[in-house]
Amino acid sequence: MLNFGNLVINEWLKMYKKRSFFIPFAIMAVIIIGFVYLMKSFAPATITAGITSFDVINEMMNYNGLGQIITFLAIICTAGSVTKEHSQGTIKFLLIRSHSRSAILASKYVTVLLFIVMLTLFTLAVSFAAGVIVYGFEIHDVTWRDVLLTTAAALIRTWVYATITFMLGVLTRSTGATIGASMVIVVLNGLIIFLLSKYAFIKYVLFTNIDLLPYFYNQNPPYEGMTLGFSISVIAVYVFLFLAGSFVTFKKRDIA
Amino acid sequence: MTLDNEQISESNIQAVLSVKGITKIMGKQKLVNQLSFDMHQGEIVGLLGPNGAGKTTTIRMIVGLIAMNEGDVLVKGHSIRTDFAKAISHVGGIIENPEFYPYMTGYDNLKQYKRMGEGITEERISEVVKLVGLEGAMSKRVKAYSLGMRQRLGIAQALLHKPAILILDEPTNGLDPAGIREMRDYLKKIASEEGISILVSSHLLAEMELMCNRVVVIQEGKLVTVRTLGAANIENNGVDAVNGTNRSNIVQINLRVNDVVQTKDSLLHLKDIRIVGISPEKNDITVAIDDSSIPLLVNTLCEKGIALYRMEEVKESLEDEFLKWTGGNQIA
Repeated sequence: MLNFGNLVINEWLKMYKKRSFFIPFAIMAVIIIGFVYLMKSFAPATITAGITSFDVINEMMNYNGLGQIITFLAIICTAGSVTKEHSQGTIKFLLIRSHSRSAILASKYVTVLLFIVMLTLFTLAVSFAAGVIVYGFEIHDVTWRDVLLTTAAALIRTWVYATITFMLGVLTRSTGATIGASMVIVVLNGLIIFLLSKYAFIKYVLFTNIDLLPYFYNQNPPYEGMTLGFSISVIAVYVFLFLAGSFVTFKKRDIA
Repeated sequence: MTLDNEQISESNIQAVLSVKGITKIMGKQKLVNQLSFDMHQGEIVGLLGPNGAGKTTTIRMIVGLIAMNEGDVLVKGHSIRTDFAKAISHVGGIIENPEFYPYMTGYDNLKQYKRMGEGITEERISEVVKLVGLEGAMSKRVKAYSLGMRQRLGIAQALLHKPAILILDEPTNGLDPAGIREMRDYLKKIASEEGISILVSSHLLAEMELMCNRVVVIQEGKLVTVRTLGAANIENNGVDAVNGTNRSNIVQINLRVNDVVQTKDSLLHLKDIRIVGISPEKNDITVAIDDSSIPLLVNTLCEKGIALYRMEEVKESLEDEFLKWTGGNQIA
C-alpha cells in the first residue's frame, strides 16, 4: 500500500513539476472572474436582481453552461498521462521497475481523478469567493443542496469523460489523437443522442444516462423507464468496460 | 563428456541470468528463435549481431517490455513471466537512449526511481551520482543535459537499486570517443568491484572486444556462436604463450626484412612453419608458426644475417571473426 502511495506521488509530481500545471487553474479563475465582472457590468438589472454567490457556483458547474470547461481541461490533462510516457520514451524506465503494469496504470488513473477533484474544488472555492465579494452572502432560490447536486453531477460527467480519454490514451498512445477524439465525443454527444433516439437501445447508450441531475428535481427521465438506479448502473458498466479495455491493453502491450 | 556435464550443471546453479529458448513471433516471422544463453556473476557479455538480427527484441524480452511467445528468462531463479516484480528487482537497464522527464531536474528524476524501488536511501543516490560523476548537474533540468550526461544519469538510474545484472542496449550510441572510453571504464569497474553482471548489445565490434568477457552472436534470431574473449587475446598474451606450449598454438607473424626471398628460403627448413603470404614490394613476409618455435625463427634469421626490422603478430580482430560467423552480412 505504501508502495502504491509512492507511485501516486510520482505521478502527481510528473504533473505538478510541469510549468503548465497551473494553467488549468488560471483558466478557471479568469473565466469565473470574467463571468462575474460581465454579469455585474453589462447584464440588465432585471436579470441580475436576486443573484447570489450560489448562482455563480451553479452557473460555473452547470453542464449546459460553463461546466463543460472543467471537462475539457480534465481531458487535456488526462490525455497526457499515458501518452506522454510513450512519446518521451520514459515508459521504458517506468516499466522495468518491480511493479506490475496494472499498479502503474492504476496509479496514473488515481492521479488523474485526484486532479479532477482538485480542479473542481478549486472552481467551487473561487466561484464562491467571487460571488460573495460581488453579491454578498445570501441564500435565495439556489440552496446548498442545489449547489452540491450540480457539482456532483458535473464531477460524475467529467469522471466518465476522463475515463474515456484515459482509455483512448492507452489505446492510441498519441496525445493529440486522444485529445481530439475525446473533445469530439463531448461535443457530439447531443447529436449522437439525437440520431439514435428512434432506436430502443438508446436507453442503454452512455450519453443518455450521463446527466443524473433531472432525477433529483422530479423531472421526467429522458426516456420511458429510466430511473436514477438504472442510469447509475449503465454508467458503472461503461466505466468498468473502459477501464477493463485500458488495463488489458496496457498489460499486453509490447513496448517496442 | 562427464566433465562437461558437471560443468554445465554447476553453471546452471550460478547463472545470474538464464535465457531459455525464448522465441518471438511477429506475424509469420520469427524475430527471435529458440535463443538460449547463461550469464554468471561479474561477467560482461556482449550480444552481437547484424542489423535486424533480433538484439533489441531479445533485450526487451529479457526485461519484460515485450512478451515472449515461447521460453522463459530466469533472473536469479525468478521467472520474468510469472514472477515479474521479483525478477526485475535484480535488473537495472537502459534500453536504447536513456529518456528522462525533461522538465524535472536530474535529482527529481532519480527520486522518481527511488520511490519505485525498495530500500533505496538518500545516501545511495549520492553514491551512484558520485560514481557516474554528475554531482554538479543534479539540480539542473534534464532538458539541459548533453547526451553523455543523460547516459550517465541512465547508468545512475540503473544502479540505484543495487541490481545483480545490468542490461544495456547500445550504451555507447551517440557518445564521443572520450565518453565511450569512460563508459567502458565504468562498466568494467562496476563488474569487477561490485560483481554485477552486464549484458551489452552493440554493433561497435572493437568496443565489444575491449569490454566483454564473452560474446553471444545471433543472426536472424538464432544463436550463431558463443565465444569467450579476453585474457588469451589481450592482456595476458605473454603468459598464455608460455602456458600454451603443450598444445598446438599457431600464431601468424608478420616480418619485415631486408630480403624476402632469402628469408623465405631459410625459414622453410624450420618445422611447423607455413608461409602465409609474401609481399616483396613492402619487404613483408607473413608466416604461421607454433608459438614455441618463434625463438628458433629469430635465431635462424640472425644466423643467416638477415636484417629484421619489424615483427608483429597478425591478430584476427573480432570484426573478422564476426564476418566469418555471420557469413559476411552487412554490419550495422
